[in-house]
Amino acid sequence: MANKFMDPHDVPTIPGTEGWERMYPYQYPFSKDDPERAAFESSQIWFYDGLHYPIPHYPFDLIWDEAWSMALSQYNTRHWLIPPALGIDHRIVNGYVYISPVGVPDPEEIGKRVPLFMERAGFYFQNWDGLYENWKKKMGVVIDKLEAMNFTDLPVMEDISIIKEGIGIGSGYKLLKAWDELIDIGLLCWQYHFEFLNLAYAAQVTFFATGDQLFPGIPIATLVKMSAGFDPILFKPDAELIRLAKFAIQLGIDDTFMKPLKADELMKELAQHATGKEWLAELEKARYPWFHISTGTGWFHTETSWNDNLNVPFNAIKTNIRTLKEGKEIGRPTAQILEERDRIATEYRALLKTDADRDAFDQGLGLARLVLPYAEDHNFYVEHWFHTLFWQKTRQVSEILQRAGFFKEAGDMYFLKRNEIKDALWDMVTGWTTGVKSRGPSYWPKEVAWRKEVYKKFTEWTPPAALGTPPDVVTEPFTIVLWGVTNSTLTSWLSGGEAGATAANEIQGSPGSSGVVQGKARVLNNPDQLADLQKGEILVCKTTSPSWAPCFVTIAGAITDVGGPMCHAAIVCREYGLPTVVGTGKGTQLIKTGDLIKMDGDTGLVTILERA
Amino acid sequence: MLEKEKRFTLGYDELEGNDFNLVGKKNANLGEMLKAGIPISPGFAVTVHANDQYLIMTGIKEKISSLINPPNAQVPLEKAQEASKIAMELIESAEMPAVIGDVILSDYHKMCEKYGNNLPVAVRSSGAASMPGQMETYLNICGDKDLIDYVKKCWSSAYNTEAIMYRMNKGMEFLFNIGAGIPKMVNSRVSGIIFTINPINGDMSKISIDASYGLGEAVVSGLVTPDTYLIDKITLDIIKIIKGSKEIQCVYRENASDIVQTEVPEEKRRVNCLSMEEVKELARVGKLIEKYYGKAYDIEFGVDADIPFPHNIIILQVRPESVWSKKEVAPKTEVAKDPMERLLGVMLTGVKLK
Repeated sequence: MANKFMDPHDVPTIPGTEGWERMYPYQYPFSKDDPERAAFESSQIWFYDGLHYPIPHYPFDLIWDEAWSMALSQYNTRHWLIPPALGIDHRIVNGYVYISPVGVPDPEEIGKRVPLFMERAGFYFQNWDGLYENWKKKMGVVIDKLEAMNFTDLPVMEDISIIKEGIGIGSGYKLLKAWDELIDIGLLCWQYHFEFLNLAYAAQVTFFATGDQLFPGIPIATLVKMSAGFDPILFKPDAELIRLAKFAIQLGIDDTFMKPLKADELMKELAQHATGKEWLAELEKARYPWFHISTGTGWFHTETSWNDNLNVPFNAIKTNIRTLKEGKEIGRPTAQILEERDRIATEYRALLKTDADRDAFDQGLGLARLVLPYAEDHNFYVEHWFHTLFWQKTRQVSEILQRAGFFKEAGDMYFLKRNEIKDALWDMVTGWTTGVKSRGPSYWPKEVAWRKEVYKKFTEWTPPAALGTPPDVVTEPFTIVLWGVTNSTLTSWLSGGEAGATAANEIQGSPGSSGVVQGKARVLNNPDQLADLQKGEILVCKTTSPSWAPCFVTIAGAITDVGGPMCHAAIVCREYGLPTVVGTGKGTQLIKTGDLIKMDGDTGLVTILERA
Repeated sequence: MLEKEKRFTLGYDELEGNDFNLVGKKNANLGEMLKAGIPISPGFAVTVHANDQYLIMTGIKEKISSLINPPNAQVPLEKAQEASKIAMELIESAEMPAVIGDVILSDYHKMCEKYGNNLPVAVRSSGAASMPGQMETYLNICGDKDLIDYVKKCWSSAYNTEAIMYRMNKGMEFLFNIGAGIPKMVNSRVSGIIFTINPINGDMSKISIDASYGLGEAVVSGLVTPDTYLIDKITLDIIKIIKGSKEIQCVYRENASDIVQTEVPEEKRRVNCLSMEEVKELARVGKLIEKYYGKAYDIEFGVDADIPFPHNIIILQVRPESVWSKKEVAPKTEVAKDPMERLLGVMLTGVKLK
């Protein structure tokens, strides 16, 4: 087995994409022009962040990668002074983002950071609940502010009120300022995103480590079960869909939902009757905010929300009605999960024989339970609620530029870097102010057409799981918990990279949720394809998000390419009692729809028994 | 139905711990395990009363009791050997009175109806006082005639020389009626050992199961590399499976009680010998036994080929775990004054990758 991955500088450029680097911020590509930086790049381990980015980056959408690159790192490095860990560095290769945890090299420096960390992180842990309440208020302000934003075309002339009220400010200036505010608020939201997250993951890593010391080999899934079971906001949208399904049955209008109607047609029909109106009123209550759920992970402009495409939640409501009428219970049995979590924790604790071990267990579990609500809920606030609104606003800007002739098609704006969009808007505004045609309409369509070609070639390329040199120790909490990087994952990536054909019918991932099942595979690339899913099939996908919720009542198990024990698929499957294997690396490439597969959520092994 | 004291047989499911005077300790204990939900091989007990009535009805009680006088005397070896010979001869050669024999056979026939004609059973001695290893147990007994003959042999084994010497040295009575247990022979498709801890490191949160094909002898005596299953004791999730090579299995030779070794076919070696549901059920039972006795246990089990899941899981023998249970337990974690200090410790250690 190799002990190094490909050097990041040696990754070949895809023919026909030469010059792709200009699509992204100049500091993102690996480079050799500074020998010191080049040596650093070669000596680090770089993981492909497929968990967040299963597809190549649209230049504008890189904003969230930039945002977390800054926010996560600043909290490690400048806020908490995590003693051995600096930030997570980012690079881009052929459109795919690679990340690398950076350590504090000098042991003496690590020692100096300890008292600072204890004071700073200690303050947050001691005041967690109050600070978290405050956080929700801050997020509320950010979301309200974003919601109030509205981008419109520049007027032919300023409204008379501007004159009569002596405003003295032009629409062009206001548009540019509003764009700056939109970007600013996006970055602000991501500052908040990480206010607690590093500490939350550090607490969880601590509990995992303590658990393994006390009970060697204890599955992380079991440790998570001991802290899970509260009612995370992330499950609320799904709960609302169940509530609406039950309400439809209660009102006796469930038959209407079985008609082959699109969401808007169905709503029109419901609006004609009193009971239907009553249901629609409940729907409206549920929609804001609970339908601000992205149909993807929330990271990409291409992903719309339930509110943008009501067919998605309506299909789920239909499935729920059908399932309920078959007499089945659906939804999370919260009370049961809580009871189970307490039973498991109590029984484990009862096995401990010394006060020291009981203290360690109690301290670890106490922290894990303290932080878990935030660790799960922030995702709804930021990636779903905030991002959904954010993408809606950027679409308004994109349409303005398109109407001004800058772009040929909807969505072209996202092939520009965010600073380039500011340039284009400036170009449009100054064209408007002077009454002279802007350069944009002759400049951008050509550039965007080329970028689209490059992007298409990126999508046909398979990014290696990792690049560079593995370290001895990873101390960065995110790297361990969220990306599931451990000794065994790295080893399997390394061996897979060298001789992927050794056992083509076996794929090793990480255990995500226990149990063994056998069934037909269904490989899906996005939740729009959920309609294809048949009962009892095993879902194989890159990663899941709350939009995949309806599928969990249908499937026998789930396999993801990316993710560790805390990824969405693992959390949900544990809650629903379904086996899961996560972080298989390339399950979606090696497994085909219709293959008969066996998956073992306890060992992480997936076996292809019979090819379709 | 007669009151318990007057019965010649009692089903295991009718027994409890303080019935040892009626059926002997081994039988009473099996009844107690069954009550606790611990699965044992199905069967019944022939009562001490049946033994006594046998001696009375056949008219040999007087003869036997007069063999040693006074009845609780210290006796020399020659005297014991002589008494043993006569007593055993009398018991084995007398005819079983129909009133007793019919009851035993009726219970046996009920088992045959359920598990197959001519069902092999064991005949196990079960005394009301502890007589460790003094009396006989006969395995693989099939059919009416053999069953009756071996019940008599079992009774007579209370008069073998060692048993007599043991009793006489303890000042016990010479006349000694015992119970007999008649469990179905476990037709082990798979058998093995459950530890209610991880025997490798003493971790109390795991259950470890070693299992291989055939009778338990192959696993116990180390003839084969069994499959090893490691289970989380609390959640009963299977954490690890180490597949063994399992080349050999021990089986009973037909209609005889000696054990022979045979080869395990290649395709059976390659797969787990237990199904996942069997592993979980075994772990559940192991946990139950540990809870019942209040400490870690070492348990022999068989998986019966004639009985459907989950009743095919049969506990053959239980004993307290002896290695880790005796060790002083040292803390596994470092002492930290608060959660922050512990968190810092973990941050500084990180996750080792090489």
